[in-house]
Amino acid sequence: MTDDGYAVRLRGVTKSFGKHTAVSGLDLDVPRGIICGLLGPNGSGKTTTIRMIMGILLPDSGSVELFGGDPDLTRRTRVGYLPEERGVYRKMKCVEFVTFLAEIRGLPRAEGKRRALAWLERLGLPEWADKKVEDLSKGMQQKIQFIGTVIHEPELLILDEPFSGLDPINQDVMEEIVRAFRAKGTTILFSTHLMDQAERLCERVCLISKSRKVIDADMRELRASERGGVLALEFEGPDAWISGPEVTSVERVNGGLHLMLSEGADHQAILRRGVSAGATILRFDLVEPRLHEIFVRHAGADATGDAGTPSGTPQAERRTP
Amino acid sequence: MMWHNVWAVIRREYLQRVRTKAFVIGTVAVPLFLTVMIVVPNIVDSRSDDDEREIAIVDRTGVLLDRLQPELVELGWTVRPVPWRSDIDERLRERAEAGQILGFIILDDETLSAGVATFETTARPAAVRALTLRSAITRAAMEYHLAASGGAESMLSGGELRIELLSDAPGTDPDDETPQFVVAFIGAMVLYMVILIYSVAVMRATLEEKTSRIVEVIVSAMKPWHLLLGKIIGVGAVSLTQLAIWLLAGALALGAGIPTLMSARPDLTGLVDVQAAVPGLGRLLLFGGYFVFGFFMYSGIYAAVGAMCATDEEANQAQFPVVMLLAGPIMMVMPIIQDPSATWATAVSLFPLFSPILMWARVSGGGVPAWQIVLSFALMALAIVAIAWVAGRIYRVGILMTGKRPTLPELWRWVRAAA
Repeated sequence: MTDDGYAVRLRGVTKSFGKHTAVSGLDLDVPRGIICGLLGPNGSGKTTTIRMIMGILLPDSGSVELFGGDPDLTRRTRVGYLPEERGVYRKMKCVEFVTFLAEIRGLPRAEGKRRALAWLERLGLPEWADKKVEDLSKGMQQKIQFIGTVIHEPELLILDEPFSGLDPINQDVMEEIVRAFRAKGTTILFSTHLMDQAERLCERVCLISKSRKVIDADMRELRASERGGVLALEFEGPDAWISGPEVTSVERVNGGLHLMLSEGADHQAILRRGVSAGATILRFDLVEPRLHEIFVRHAGADATGDAGTPSGTPQAERRTP
Repeated sequence: MMWHNVWAVIRREYLQRVRTKAFVIGTVAVPLFLTVMIVVPNIVDSRSDDDEREIAIVDRTGVLLDRLQPELVELGWTVRPVPWRSDIDERLRERAEAGQILGFIILDDETLSAGVATFETTARPAAVRALTLRSAITRAAMEYHLAASGGAESMLSGGELRIELLSDAPGTDPDDETPQFVVAFIGAMVLYMVILIYSVAVMRATLEEKTSRIVEVIVSAMKPWHLLLGKIIGVGAVSLTQLAIWLLAGALALGAGIPTLMSARPDLTGLVDVQAAVPGLGRLLLFGGYFVFGFFMYSGIYAAVGAMCATDEEANQAQFPVVMLLAGPIMMVMPIIQDPSATWATAVSLFPLFSPILMWARVSGGGVPAWQIVLSFALMALAIVAIAWVAGRIYRVGILMTGKRPTLPELWRWVRAAA
């Protein structure tokens, strides 16, 4: 096997459906052994990208490599794939469903069942083992599906929106499990439109918007390089002074404001404006930008679409070099 | 690895299905349905002439009518005793044809000695009715002998009721009621129903896996073709289980039930005919063969239909032409049973998609040359390979597609693209 250091490698991958371009010229590297987030609003091409990595879709052009080769059956079996749609056999008993998924990945049935029961125990669902999947709540079904994804202890986990639909407590549980896999050396690639979550988990992020990659970088480096771009501000008094040429957008965060600054902006100019306008400045702090803010700075505010704007008319996009 | 996967799919498909209530209900309901289909026309038959169920009985023996009359009344006949005259049969025939009575029976010495009588009627009685009428007459004769002399050996043959249809009777072809006809027709219906039910099950399962996207996880671990194969074999095994249960129940009923019934009720001689009509092992094997080949052809087609659709409604629409392929032969069963060796009958029954039902209809009547049977299986085998080739490709692309149903040119591209 010609495995190199990458679990996944895409080069110039483009995929269109009719007139709509879902993914355009995407390069993506996922080094082994890290947690990598694929970020972007709904309709930005995340799921299409993942489906191409899994060999479900073939790219129109460009190349997809999984463990350094074609995403053929042998390599795909080394992956644990959780699709965006929560596919289950509703009429099966939970333990049988998970055992079946273990079996088709080549595990003997007895071993599959043993692991299935252990996982059900671990995720707090032991009493549901002999219940039908359809009798479970959506969140519990999602856990069952997650167990089915990891039951064969894959080298690479590809999770499409793994946390959506879970309550905060279960999101934490899942995050812990993802970290535990990371600690064992498993590579994890997951997509999400929740920037905060990616921020907590990812060591590397790839942000895409409107079918194009906007950022692809190591998380720590990214935040360091973006430092100084965001001004946290709390004050009392008039507020007309905060808008100025060096402020690209304003956001309300935790009772204060976050001002996104243009590159090379003179933040002291803003402070002077505030003081002379008669405002009482309570906090004036250059902070590390949140991922969301980095994304906005690079893709434009209308590109984030956390609420689910579908990608529609094309617009000029900036790409980081 | 491949067979491990295919086996896992077969096992899942089989166990999930035989454990359902639907399977249990279906196993019970289909024989019930068939029974109802056969019994109800008889009941309707016997009800339709309720107002004219009056028969005249001429008792030349002088000892039978007293025993027979109450029994016939109990069975729902209106009995009009008529004294004998030399031209009584002429007169009664006239009255029957005028619609005054349904028919008449003349009881004579032969009836008394051997239980044989003739029922001349304008309307063929339903099989059940004829049987009860006959056994009533035979029993009357037997009881007379037992009371009079203690010997009724001559009755052991069970007697006979000859039924003669009068000239203007709206007679159905008597051949329609022969046991062979029943075996051919019931067999064809069972083939139709079971092939259809289980092929549609394959389609629904395919559609469910596709719409729930579970298929994306499965094909990340196995080839779509193996999934399809496992599914068809698994569902097929369920259908064979069901057929086996029916056959076993049938064999028990016929093998154990009939002899018991015959010794308990020697008067019911019709049972001998039923027993004679039971298909032998060879026929059963042919039946199984036509079923298995038919199921493989249609389940392949149905899997492709399921794979190319996105919703139940779409699939119901798309399967319509396929249902026609199955229902068409059912409409040809009747004429084919009546003339199984006609050139057209031979031709259509060799068309592979029609063979399971039509060849069965011809074969169960007997007289089909062996080479035609062999040829029909060879043609079906070729059809299965062709269907597997095309359907497998449509399936492979279709199960991972989202969005609307493909057009025919698009389908053709799928078939060619999946190399």
